[in-house]
Amino acid sequence: MSSLQLKLVSLLVQEHFGDVVEKICTHLLKNGSNNFRSVVSTVKEKPEQVKKALCVLIQHNIVKYGLNKRGMVEYTADVEKALLLVRYPRYIYSAKTLYGDIGELIVEEVLHHGEILMSNVVEKVKVRLKEAMEGNQLEPSAIKDKFIDLVNTHFLQRLPSWSAEDDEESKVIPLIPHLSVSDADLYRIPETAGVTGKRKRPLNDGGRSSKRARSSSVGSEPDQEVPLDDGIYWKVNFERFHRYFRDQDIISAITQRIDKSAGDVVATMLRMSELTTDFMARETKPLSFHDIARQMPKKLENRQLEQYMKLLLDDQTMIVKKYGDAGGGMYEIDLEQASRVICTANIESVVQERFGSKSFRIFKTLLKKKYLEQKQIENFALIPAKEAKELVYQMFAENFITVQEIPRTPDHAPSRTFYLFTVELGQVTFMLAERCYKSLINLMTRRHFESAENKRLIEKEQKVEAITASMQGSGAEPAQLEEIEKTMTQLEKEQLQKYKGRIAKLEQSELQTDKTVFVLNSFILQEAEGRL
Amino acid sequence: MSAEEKQEAPDAMNLEERILELCKQNPDGIADSTLQKELPNVDTRQRVSAVNRLLSSGKIDLVKTSNELVYRLKDPGVVSKIKGADNQERLVYQIIEQSGNKGIWTRDIRLKSNLQLTQLNKILKNLESRKLIKAVKSVGAARKKAYMLFNLTPDPSVTGGTWYSDQEFESEFVEVLNQQCFKFLQQKVESVSALQLDPLLKRNRSFVSPEEVWKFITELRISKVDLSVDDINTILNTLIYDGKVEMTISAGAGTSSSDSSSKLYRAIQPLTQPTGLMRSPCGVCPVFNQCYEGGAISPSTCIYMKEWMDY
Ligand code: SF4
Repeated sequence: MSSLQLKLVSLLVQEHFGDVVEKICTHLLKNGSNNFRSVVSTVKEKPEQVKKALCVLIQHNIVKYGLNKRGMVEYTADVEKALLLVRYPRYIYSAKTLYGDIGELIVEEVLHHGEILMSNVVEKVKVRLKEAMEGNQLEPSAIKDKFIDLVNTHFLQRLPSWSAEDDEESKVIPLIPHLSVSDADLYRIPETAGVTGKRKRPLNDGGRSSKRARSSSVGSEPDQEVPLDDGIYWKVNFERFHRYFRDQDIISAITQRIDKSAGDVVATMLRMSELTTDFMARETKPLSFHDIARQMPKKLENRQLEQYMKLLLDDQTMIVKKYGDAGGGMYEIDLEQASRVICTANIESVVQERFGSKSFRIFKTLLKKKYLEQKQIENFALIPAKEAKELVYQMFAENFITVQEIPRTPDHAPSRTFYLFTVELGQVTFMLAERCYKSLINLMTRRHFESAENKRLIEKEQKVEAITASMQGSGAEPAQLEEIEKTMTQLEKEQLQKYKGRIAKLEQSELQTDKTVFVLNSFILQEAEGRL
Repeated sequence: MSAEEKQEAPDAMNLEERILELCKQNPDGIADSTLQKELPNVDTRQRVSAVNRLLSSGKIDLVKTSNELVYRLKDPGVVSKIKGADNQERLVYQIIEQSGNKGIWTRDIRLKSNLQLTQLNKILKNLESRKLIKAVKSVGAARKKAYMLFNLTPDPSVTGGTWYSDQEFESEFVEVLNQQCFKFLQQKVESVSALQLDPLLKRNRSFVSPEEVWKFITELRISKVDLSVDDINTILNTLIYDGKVEMTISAGAGTSSSDSSSKLYRAIQPLTQPTGLMRSPCGVCPVFNQCYEGGAISPSTCIYMKEWMDY
């Protein structure tokens, strides 16, 4: 974990959950696993507060608990998981693309709560939709159906829960709850789920709800009515979203390189592999030509499809590979290669934008030729010596290229040493990820700064809106409403408008930058996996 | 260069001595026809140039006798004095000869020959005036002169090759060629995609051979020098490094005459749009590393951000 990651997480956690939670999260990240007592004593917050904060972090999958060697409960924070907070807007946005407004709201609610009952989501989304649609009635089952869709496509996932037998078995309450869910149940909607009816909570159930704050968020009074699906919590399956992001990247790369139909072919292959291939697998399971032909959403003639397969195989990205000749030809997608190619393309675009096209040419020459001397770089890239030296140096200074010294004599005299330039892709990827984190920090800092600058205005607007709403509710005259409106001067309105534009731009840029992070990290992960 | 050319150079040195020798034997002068008879293996061109060199360096004279022109040793005393220097001359000549068409710097000649600088300079001047050697400015170091045998074509590493004129790299020329080649490839792709062909055919037809590009460029008449197909290949390679073009080795369906270059080129699209990071001001920021909250350059006070946000 780098210091930039830590800083970014601290900003993110603070923005999402507030100061106390941030303090505790940062403490856990800095100091590793820690037990409750030492957390309380070092962060100097009330135990109640710490408890709540830990709850929030656990619910959002950022902190895990477990027993240490001496049998004490310990809490551990995971920086990678915490960094996903920056990606929330993208998850929500994708849900909207895939499942429309309802999908967007569902995912937003689930993300907001970390873990939540289906019946709660349905209820909340219903309320929000009603506000948005202003009375337009919505088929009540529509939300539930979308929720089920999201589960069926694995974008939502069930959380492990207490199993019934555990409850009965022992009267001793274990230190940490034993939670489990079978693979079969992960994506199964229980019959009771989503039914908005209530039932009486059995009286002997009291111990459970107070034990973990997680379940107590629903109802803490032992005899209160509880939803029928109590105990069955859902969360967002991040991996599934990541897979979707990755697949989209592959499809758009192929579409750019060949054409829309080729993109469709690859999209079909990826879709067919969703259930058969592990997310981190190096390649998809082989798919036969006939199966692909059958699964294509828009029928291509066999002859055309054959040609596309050939184009894909010939393509220099080498993302699609031939596996064998059975079944009219077996094909697979090399996910590792795809990740490398896409990551490289992204890095190249950084060089292009940051250093210009001549440097880009040098960079790419090095990527292609691996190790080159200064002189060779000049000759391949056809750039005059002086200029080439400057460009190489610039990139070297910013760690985009590295140099290897090969002394011809044991004394390492510079005049008798070869200097070979090269691009260490892995290193550049890491370096750029760090740059992204810093950029994200900068963007967020600026966003907070802008909000602070305009605090008075924002509050004023909110006040005006609140008054207007309440007056509208009580049936005020239009003239009165106008009066209220006028308390905001034209200048103030313009200022606010400008502020909102700025925030939108910053947020958009945060999302974009995270896309780069995603591509870079996927490659880093893929590489790490390959080395195991 | 041919083997014959290489041979001629040492002959030139010998030849001069032979001629001097003959002149000495015939103190009254020797006619060109006699010279020709005495040197049966030497062709006229070589003989004439050797004689001319001797004349211009003042070792022999052209004297008119009653009925013919004869060559005569100028001043026997002087020649014998130079005799001693001749060995040094020979040494320097050999050192230069060894360096081939890459040439050799004065400093290196001095190290190898152990001669005084003034002495060496005299010898070099002498050899140069006799057109046995020549000085070439090299691209690497514009101030230093490299010497090589007179009749050699300097190695591209010395002159820089096609892309250099007067030891200056023709940056703009290369860029113009780079752009024009790309334009040609791009037009090809465009014209083919307008044709409604099968995908495979569409791709295959959008490939172009270097010869076609060469023809296009030659007809454009943008080049002062004659470019070879190899030069075009070099330019096309830069387009590959630009990420704008891909190259494939054709299976050799025997389309083009017979030569080995079965490379084909095609304009391609980049795989991705500029990555997200680069769409934020920090991505392209020149003071990225100096920027931190609370510092002289900070996100809150950043002017790049401000301009970008209000753009
Ligand atoms: S905040 Fe401004 S100064 Fe700092 S890195 Fe970003 S663009 Fe550069």
